[in-house]
Amino acid sequence: MRSASTPGAAPGTMTTYTYTSRPRAPPCRLRYRNGLTQQPDEPLPFGNIMYDRRVIRGNTYALHTEPQRGQAIDEHVQKLQETKKRAAAKKRAQEQLRPRTPEPVEGRKHVDVQTELYLEEIADRIIEADMECQTDAFLDKPPTPLFIPAKTGQDVATQILEGELFDFDLEVKPMLEVLVGKTIEQALLEVMEEEELADLRATQYAFEELRNVELAEVQRLEEQERRHREEKERRKQQQWEVMHKHKETSQKIAARAFSQRYLADLLPSVFDSLKEGGYFFDPIERDIELGFLPWLMNEVDKTMEHSMVGRTVLDMLIREVVERRLNTYEQKEDKHPFLKPEDGPGGPGPMRDPTTGDEFQEQRSLPSTEAPYEKLIEEEEEEEDPIGLRRSLGREEQFQGRESWEG
Amino acid sequence: MAHTWISMYLPPNINPAQASIAYGCRALPKLNEELQSEDLQTRQKALMALCDLMHDPEHVYVAIDIGCLESLRALLRDTNHMVRIKTTEVLSIMATHTVGRDGFLRDGIVTALSLLLNDPQPACRENLHLAFQHLAQVPSGARGIVDSGLIPSLVRKLHREEENIQEILLDTLAACLQEDATEALNSRVVPFLKDKLLSPNDNIRCKAARTLIAVSIPLEGKKQIWRHDVIPILVHLLRDPAEEVKANVAGALMYATVTTEGKYAALDADAIHSLLGLLISSLQKARLNAVKALTMLAEAPEGRRVLKAHVHAFRVLEMGDPSKTVQRAAQVAIRVIEWKP
Repeated sequence: MRSASTPGAAPGTMTTYTYTSRPRAPPCRLRYRNGLTQQPDEPLPFGNIMYDRRVIRGNTYALHTEPQRGQAIDEHVQKLQETKKRAAAKKRAQEQLRPRTPEPVEGRKHVDVQTELYLEEIADRIIEADMECQTDAFLDKPPTPLFIPAKTGQDVATQILEGELFDFDLEVKPMLEVLVGKTIEQALLEVMEEEELADLRATQYAFEELRNVELAEVQRLEEQERRHREEKERRKQQQWEVMHKHKETSQKIAARAFSQRYLADLLPSVFDSLKEGGYFFDPIERDIELGFLPWLMNEVDKTMEHSMVGRTVLDMLIREVVERRLNTYEQKEDKHPFLKPEDGPGGPGPMRDPTTGDEFQEQRSLPSTEAPYEKLIEEEEEEEDPIGLRRSLGREEQFQGRESWEG
Repeated sequence: MAHTWISMYLPPNINPAQASIAYGCRALPKLNEELQSEDLQTRQKALMALCDLMHDPEHVYVAIDIGCLESLRALLRDTNHMVRIKTTEVLSIMATHTVGRDGFLRDGIVTALSLLLNDPQPACRENLHLAFQHLAQVPSGARGIVDSGLIPSLVRKLHREEENIQEILLDTLAACLQEDATEALNSRVVPFLKDKLLSPNDNIRCKAARTLIAVSIPLEGKKQIWRHDVIPILVHLLRDPAEEVKANVAGALMYATVTTEGKYAALDADAIHSLLGLLISSLQKARLNAVKALTMLAEAPEGRRVLKAHVHAFRVLEMGDPSKTVQRAAQVAIRVIEWKP
């Protein structure tokens, strides 16, 4: 079957089969091809349907039908058919190769004609003639000389040495394949490795970024927390301290007030007792007290003793004197009575008269009696008394007098 | 000599620098044996082959299972520098895989590697630091490095190494210090980082700032930063042309200003204006860190006063920023600024 262009078949549904095609001239294959090199895109010549072998006309009772496709074919028959076809094809091909006479010009026709001088009778009978032949005895023949055709042209010699038929491209191909293959394999592996590493690094960087940010945030919050906490602690501490101080101050004030009140009367008494105890002293006073006054008292004592002694002596003197006078007076009394109150004011006789009047009196009387006393004392105790003592005696006598009044 | 006929078989020694890899599951055991051989060339070739194989995680797992790490550890002490360089390279490749990292931590490769810190070959040291950096990418690895007491020596190395190694070192330190920064703080890491912040190389500044972020997370770090006067430098770097540097510096400031002294140091150095400039940056990290740093500064009364005038910028961020984190951060910032005691 020729390869016919498929007509526009419309298979439609599976149940019915329809076939439509546009009317066209049936293509046919020429018996004799124009040449082996017939272009396939030349328009196929259409054939006369009257002379188309495929169309069965007339009597169909005893036709040699081609075996239908799809039927069971005998193999032998098939082989016969094939050989027939092949023979036909070969014959056709050979006929193609044989050169033909050109086609007749238009209006003329080829006719076979004898053109020799003497015409021949074309008959089927073959002219026969009998011939005989006999060979001569063989003669020795010299060997035929070699036929060496004349030398023309140039002599050129060539020889293929070892290694000249080496086609580098051909040889190198398998080696290159292996080398390139291995290199590319290696390179692929390495590239994959690099890619993997790069991916790993990229994800790591991204992660690191995020992690850094988060960590920074965490640290910042921590720091914030810490600062706030510290601030709070500090403020609390401050408050606490303030409160503490408050309390303390109030306590102090209360304590002070209380202690002030408590000590208000304690203080004077303490001071007083201390003063009495002699703890507050003026150093000069102290000194005077400690140093001067005892000495003074000693001296006073001494003077007093002196004066006491003096007085007692004086008393004794006065007594003696008085006794003597008394004796004399008694002697004189016999003549006239005379009273002289010659009482020694310095004597132990108590004189409780008002001080001023008596003092004057005493003062007057003292100096009056003092003078003789003094003289007497001077006479008696001159060796004893230092000069100052005389003066002090006077004072001391006054003191004594005063004291005796007072005491 | 090549013949004229084309052979169907591959040439016997395609790559003479590599040992031939046996087929299937025999590959790694055979390589392991070759690693322990006496011949230098065999060892080197086996190492090159191992390098190529270790890129596949399956192979890493198998290798660690059969105990390649032992042979590698022995090779670390080899006298030939090529062997050492390749061994460290293999170890650094293994460290990029989880199995490898776990194996490292289990077998104590870290201490063995640390012996090579003073190796004369720069390539060897670079691979070593790469191995450490890969190890430090995971928290357990970082913890392993910290526990082995390497941090002080790493910090000391910071000054003496070349620039590209310094970058790797800074990355490692950043990851490790996220875990535990006390040892580093005791070994004077802050002055070193201060120097690095002033380096002309962009990358180094960026990574130094990132390490500083990690350092300033614990309280001791913040105090040291304030004491060594790093804050004015950080504020100055906020005007750096590189975006990454600005972002990282803002992050470091964000942590350093948590303490009161840090806050006042930053306010004295006039950080607020530079940080406000960062709020419109294109990098999300920069915006985030700037917002957080400004939040810290707004805790102080002076900062709050200045920032009251700029609340509108925060509102813009809160409404219009594509990332939720930035929006939340802006909200928090506004809350802090408008807080009344």
